[in-house]
Amino acid sequence: MYGNYDPPFSIEKEGISISVEELEKRWVYKRTLGTDTVEKLILGDGKHIIISPVEPLNTPKEITPNLLIEFEKTLLLAAGARKKIFLTFPVEIGVFISDKGNKNLQLLDVLTLARKKFTLYGPVSNGIICKHWKSGIYSVSPSPNPLQEGIMELTLRNTTSEWASISKAVFSAYGMKIFYDSDVFMRAHMDILNKNTAETGFELQHISGELKSFHPKNQETRKEAIEIYNRKLDFVPVSLTFDMRLGF
Amino acid sequence: MITDINFLDFSPYSTSNGPVTMGDLLKFVLILSFSIIISRIITLYLRRSFKDKVSKDAGETILKLFYYGTIIIVFIAVLPLTGLDPSGLFLAGGITGIVLGFASQNIVGNLISGVFLMIEKPIKIGDQVEISGTLGFVTDIRIISTLIRTYDGLLVRIPNQQVFTTNITNVVGYPARRFDLKFGIRYSDDADAAIFLIKDLIDKEPFALLNPDPSVFVNELGESSVDLIVRIWAPISEWAALKSKLLWAIKKTLKENGIEMPFPQRLVYLHKVPDKNRTPEELKQNQEKEIESVLNYGERVLT
Repeated sequence: MYGNYDPPFSIEKEGISISVEELEKRWVYKRTLGTDTVEKLILGDGKHIIISPVEPLNTPKEITPNLLIEFEKTLLLAAGARKKIFLTFPVEIGVFISDKGNKNLQLLDVLTLARKKFTLYGPVSNGIICKHWKSGIYSVSPSPNPLQEGIMELTLRNTTSEWASISKAVFSAYGMKIFYDSDVFMRAHMDILNKNTAETGFELQHISGELKSFHPKNQETRKEAIEIYNRKLDFVPVSLTFDMRLGF
Repeated sequence: MITDINFLDFSPYSTSNGPVTMGDLLKFVLILSFSIIISRIITLYLRRSFKDKVSKDAGETILKLFYYGTIIIVFIAVLPLTGLDPSGLFLAGGITGIVLGFASQNIVGNLISGVFLMIEKPIKIGDQVEISGTLGFVTDIRIISTLIRTYDGLLVRIPNQQVFTTNITNVVGYPARRFDLKFGIRYSDDADAAIFLIKDLIDKEPFALLNPDPSVFVNELGESSVDLIVRIWAPISEWAALKSKLLWAIKKTLKENGIEMPFPQRLVYLHKVPDKNRTPEELKQNQEKEIESVLNYGERVLT
């Protein structure tokens, strides 16, 4: 489903129906998912429609830029250890309209097949609202439905001299780098700094435009997903991290 | 004979306090210029700090007060360098201050409260607060007063002294807020089934937070119903909408599953005054009929 489309077109997959049809010299964008229907009028010719995975923090409403991934089992990381694990994360599908050459991008719609749930990270008095996702811990890359779940390669580093007990990780959408092809992929790190604090961030593995991201299975080249959050920033993020000061 | 006179020691004029040298005058100009530069730098820094925290009007007033206040204080402090005695100014200023102080007691009180409100920041523009019984959005924090737009669209101006000295409830002070919903179900209904249905509804609702976890439990065995309490935490921005949405959704779901919310009930026992002419057998038969009717009433209410 991900990719570029020239109107008129119509696609249907996994219960999602997206179409752009010409009606009385106007373009009509129509999307259906279950009982949820979105219809928009497009005034402009020669436009492209791009369907791309986006940061999973836009539906049902954008109320936080933070994603909390809760591990199905608590993980114990030895002092000074550095380990790589695979998690899953929810995928949201962004529909964009653009001029030729992917210029002048405008978000048309965001939808998701993944479960939508929020939680509070930390206590009520100084906690942070986060989008919640529960993931299993995998030693090899899982193969989830790319329209619903993505794969996160997480490198855990315990910089302390004690065991670290990890049950969750919080990531900020600012700095999130998603790549896609036959799957949706992110590469992140989590550094345990002390007993209560960890730092999370994303590996920026791009060169420019089309990027080469190492695929654990067949080394295929993935495309860089369109970022909604990073586009809001006035600067190009080089390395944005999230400080988990309220435990992990 | 030519005398070697240092320029800084040259005295252009004298006052009753002695001669004023060019050095004194230069010091006066330098100190005043330096204080103006420092005040400007601090004002610039404060303007940046106030951005998005204090309304533009109030912020500019504070900055002007700070800027000119600093220059005036420095000017008076270095005035003796020019040979002028500022004590006369102090006396005149003191008397003027007393007169103005009495005349503008409330205004000054509000102004000082306004400054402290901006420093302590118990409320911000856009917060939803309750101040002195007024509930609404803070639209502006000015130097003398605070403006509140009530939920029904009224503009209320509250003097800052009142804001500062009264209890302030900031509805959006924390990221999440809890709400309670109360439901009564019939004694004949399965409370466990009702709890299961409600928990399932909460689980499907994105904005009902997972942590702090929601709770649903039997709170009381009431006169007419088994009373359930539902406690849910929600993001502060979604709290009100979720509360009203879930209230009706729970009511509908319970009804769809045959769980009803009973009206208040009273069991009324009716019995006739014993007839003296009746035999004991007739009386016993009559009592049995009355008991039967009460039982039937109970069944009607419960089914």
